[in-house]
Amino acid sequence: MSEETVDVLIVGAGAAGAAIAWSLADTRMNVLCMEQGDWMDPAQYPSTRLDWDLARFGPFGLSPNGRRRPEDYPVNDSGSPIQISNFNAVGGSTILYAGHFPRFHPSDFRTKSLDGVGCDWPLDYETLAPWYDVNARMMGVAGLAGDPAYPPKDVPLPPVPLGKLGETLAAGFNRLGWHWWPSDSAIATREYEGRAPCINLGPCLTGCAQGAKGSTDVTYWPAATRKGVRIATRCRVREVTLGPDGMADGVVYYDAEGTERRQRAEIVILACNGVGTPRLLLNSANASFPDGLANSSGLVGKNLMFHPYAMITGIFDDPLLGYQGPTGCCIMSQEFYETDPARGFVRGYTFETTRGMGAVSASLLGMTSGRLPWGQGHHEAFAEIFDRTAGMVAICEDLPEEHNRVTLDPELRDGDGIPAPKIDYTLSENSHRMTEHACARGREVLEAAGAKEVLADPILSVAGWHLMGTARMGTDPATSVVNEWGRCHDVRNLFIIDGSVFVTSAAVNPTNTIQAFALHVADRIKSNLENLFD
Amino acid sequence: MSEDFAALTPEQRRTLTAVLDELVPPSADGRLPGAGALGLADAIEEKMREQPDLRPAVLGGLEALDALARRDGGGGFADVAAAERAGLLSRTSAEAPAFLPGLIFHAYVTYYHQAPVLEGLGVPGRPPHPEGYAVAASDDALLDPVRAREPLYRPV
Repeated sequence: MSEETVDVLIVGAGAAGAAIAWSLADTRMNVLCMEQGDWMDPAQYPSTRLDWDLARFGPFGLSPNGRRRPEDYPVNDSGSPIQISNFNAVGGSTILYAGHFPRFHPSDFRTKSLDGVGCDWPLDYETLAPWYDVNARMMGVAGLAGDPAYPPKDVPLPPVPLGKLGETLAAGFNRLGWHWWPSDSAIATREYEGRAPCINLGPCLTGCAQGAKGSTDVTYWPAATRKGVRIATRCRVREVTLGPDGMADGVVYYDAEGTERRQRAEIVILACNGVGTPRLLLNSANASFPDGLANSSGLVGKNLMFHPYAMITGIFDDPLLGYQGPTGCCIMSQEFYETDPARGFVRGYTFETTRGMGAVSASLLGMTSGRLPWGQGHHEAFAEIFDRTAGMVAICEDLPEEHNRVTLDPELRDGDGIPAPKIDYTLSENSHRMTEHACARGREVLEAAGAKEVLADPILSVAGWHLMGTARMGTDPATSVVNEWGRCHDVRNLFIIDGSVFVTSAAVNPTNTIQAFALHVADRIKSNLENLFD
Repeated sequence: MSEDFAALTPEQRRTLTAVLDELVPPSADGRLPGAGALGLADAIEEKMREQPDLRPAVLGGLEALDALARRDGGGGFADVAAAERAGLLSRTSAEAPAFLPGLIFHAYVTYYHQAPVLEGLGVPGRPPHPEGYAVAASDDALLDPVRAREPLYRPV
């Protein structure tokens, strides 16, 4: 591989890398994707075992620091109340995501103009709308048209069934007159493009053994590889290198045996997520860019955004059959999405209902909440919580702040000796007010749905799923890292297409927008091949 | 395997089984077995091998428990009358504070993924895949009040 120069080298085979690879394959360019993880075997996913509920404490854990697969890299997130979650494999973090698949709203691209906070994006909802449509077809999105919280949009597959739990919560929202809608979900609710239909296994967050969940190893990648794109697994990229002309000329990486190798490329595209991409750019510092590649703005690694999550759980009298159905895909509410100054904060949040938990998780809830004694009364106490919990998370919009950032840890290294990322992050006062509001409103709606008791956690710590903002896009090279189609201002054949480029975070799961943006970038590359680097 | 990680002695296993049955006893209606009778001592022993920190906590607790039982004039913990076991178990907290928290955690998470327990709880005693679960479609009329609303999204 070292002697070959590919036309396009994509680093990272997750949500964004898969989408752009599939689209660029139309050009018949020589496209190679390097991924530090490997292909997953769905037959080995935890839902095939009785102890599936324990897998999140082991090799299917959300945090790379606890999971410690050989392909993982450590993250020093001790300086953040929210811990990083990711997964390294073909499919990236879509292997473990819930598949909750909303779009951003038109207002999300205009927070500065509308509310005086954050920055406006250099593109708008209408620019991404056609790519949302393409992405819905490729990922296989289930849902229901007609949601009044969104401009009209088509959804190719019927919605995930609500189940008794979803119907119970929906009735609560109706009693309060609040918005709710079946969640847009990247889940095949009927046989779709070779994927088996969802059979309501439940534990989507440890991989879908059925292949119904739209992780990109079963959506984009089969289609992309059929068109000639190649994936090189267990290749961990250390740095992007520049040629004498100041253009990217390839990468240095380590193969599965830890041998240092070189791959040359005409175009390099980074799709390593909002932590992995700034880490790679900072590790690619050179004489021309001593503070990190493509970092003349000084913004690489800054403005890290998560979504602060509040978690509100209700305990009900009757069984809810909550273990049946996709755990994170049921119904959502955007009653409190758009700014209302009377609430004491700007921007807003989405309620995403979560289904029940398995018996092991119920016992852990019982332990941590002090309601599950040992000995006499144990079974009666367990019966009070098992299959009787339902709840929601509030996904709160995080605003960009430069002090929230990714840097390189001075000591921590991955298995190949590459400096690991370090996270420094604090919650803003606006976020605190928002999560408090969400806990209070969540309590109201759960009680309206019939909950006899409500537990609220204003900040969920293991919720660093959404990694955004650390190489933001914009039209001014002084205040942004990439332009409105992902091309680095400083290095014109280097593109960034993951959540790093997000200007603001919205208050919904970002994967759909990350992929829509990747398809948009691919379209711009294809449309401008003759003068791509001008 | 090093000597430190040798199997439990028969006496330690007997005590551990009795402790497990005390932590999670059989249910009054007989649908749920006790954790000891279910054979969870094997699983706990395996965890002790995987997690070296757990082993001294468990062995220390078992030793303290048997010593307490003998101090009261009887044999080991397993020989004590059922009505007195809970009290003895509570008293070990002072002498072996790490014993119960670690053991309870492993006992619960192991107990609650056993097929007989799941069936006793009224759910299938099998992995979710490949059979899955059938969930019926919901009544679309639930959405009528939402459909009647004006658009919520903000014009830009």
